[in-house]
Amino acid sequence: MLEDDSGVTKKRTLQLSSMSVSFRSHEMGEVELSCLAYAKMYLHASQFPRCSVNGLLLSSSPAGGDVCITDCVPLLHTHLSLAPITQLALTQVDAWCSQTHQRIMGYYQANACVSDSSPTPCALKIAEKIFEQCNNAVLLMIDGEKMFPGCRVPPIVMYERKDARWALKDKHTIMLRQWEETCAIVNQLFSSGDQALLVDFDSHLDDITKDWTNQKLNAKIMELISPANGNV
Amino acid sequence: MLSVSEMLKMRDKLRKWREENYRNSEQIVDVGEELLNEHASKLGDDIWIIYEQVMIAALDCSRDDLAWSCLQELKRQFPDSHRVKRLAGMRLEALERYEDANKLYDSILQDDPTNTAARKRKISILRAQGKSSEAIRELNEYLEQFVGDQEAWHELSELYINEHDYAKAAFCLEELMMTNPHNHLYCEQYAEVKYTQGGLENLELARKYFAQALKLNNRNMRALFGLYMSASHIAASPKVSAKVKKDNMKYGAWAASQISRAYQMAGRGKKENKCSVKAVEEMLESMQITMS
Repeated sequence: MLEDDSGVTKKRTLQLSSMSVSFRSHEMGEVELSCLAYAKMYLHASQFPRCSVNGLLLSSSPAGGDVCITDCVPLLHTHLSLAPITQLALTQVDAWCSQTHQRIMGYYQANACVSDSSPTPCALKIAEKIFEQCNNAVLLMIDGEKMFPGCRVPPIVMYERKDARWALKDKHTIMLRQWEETCAIVNQLFSSGDQALLVDFDSHLDDITKDWTNQKLNAKIMELISPANGNV
Repeated sequence: MLSVSEMLKMRDKLRKWREENYRNSEQIVDVGEELLNEHASKLGDDIWIIYEQVMIAALDCSRDDLAWSCLQELKRQFPDSHRVKRLAGMRLEALERYEDANKLYDSILQDDPTNTAARKRKISILRAQGKSSEAIRELNEYLEQFVGDQEAWHELSELYINEHDYAKAAFCLEELMMTNPHNHLYCEQYAEVKYTQGGLENLELARKYFAQALKLNNRNMRALFGLYMSASHIAASPKVSAKVKKDNMKYGAWAASQISRAYQMAGRGKKENKCSVKAVEEMLESMQITMS
């Protein structure tokens, strides 16, 4: 998943992903995860360490091209498996996406019990619903055990749809550009206290003046991204 | 060093958090650590309960150093106390030494079989280990004996919700609603469970309980949205009579106008939540179309 020094691994997966586009098979498709999406997911899981949390993964790139998760919307930290608020959130995020030229293309979850990062029935159900609308949907589980400072691998496990079930995605097809810079940005958000800016849909319902689209936090993150890197 | 009045303010804050059962552990550790380090002599008898409060918060923040020193003070003052023993058990739990913790709790229960705190900690250990069915079984047994324990009923409802056993979760919430008829949160959670169970009958019950929650607290947004969604689904169902359809469209429309109004007020002057306001407006519009 990290860019290989020799460039060999990357080239091979790129070739395969262009093949996959023409054969309409998404088996070896590359998925890119942006710094913005990663940072907010991480902040969400950190804000509620005792709860299971979930959210939606968004993409602003056109369907059928390379898959890039450009943003995410943190949803719940209570009662993930109850229907009404989940339905409400999906509808509202959908509406917001059509206004902002994005689409829902995945789902993430972090389990309260850190030793078990396997997808729960609720995660599979919601991912299934997303797959009905988006045939390269991904399911991302956050691995709580790897969320400690100085951990050298991204604490994520990704699943994709293969043969009518959700299968583990090959690590080498998950791209996190500038991983070290991304980590530095997340650390910076914690030291500046800006991690507290994150609002999820649950918090929005507790106080509707809070913005679940996180415009303020997004701006802070983009500020941190732009000087160092061209395009993350 | 703090002035006396600042110190008193901090002490009062700690009391408020204790009485209202907040779990703002980082704050408690911040405030509590300073108070205990600098002003222990001025706290009087409060000091012991503050040690307990700060110790538990310290465990929550992985501050074993602070938890340990609080525990030592409490052990010194109350050498044979079951309450302190339970705190020692909680520290073992925080260190994931579950077997040792269980042994401690078992020794408390041997001495005093009615010690509910020790029994509940043993159930929490099962939960921490991911043993949900065992936790559920133990909690049910506990509730047969201690049928009035609200906290336990709520914990059980949460466990059932996680296991997708909505019927049993509803039963627990019914118990809670009976003994706490003015609690809008229980009504609203019950309604959410009913909605999740699905089917016309459950949707109608959901709508009724969302409405009840709103009567008890007209600012409960979940209840308001829940009322809107359940009424809309009932109205859109092909199985209902014309009268039921009309009534539910009326409820739905009322809820929609309340939602709109709440968001207008929330959006006033605040640039940053314009996006969420717009999203709600669009959602309400699109659902209007499907209803008619």
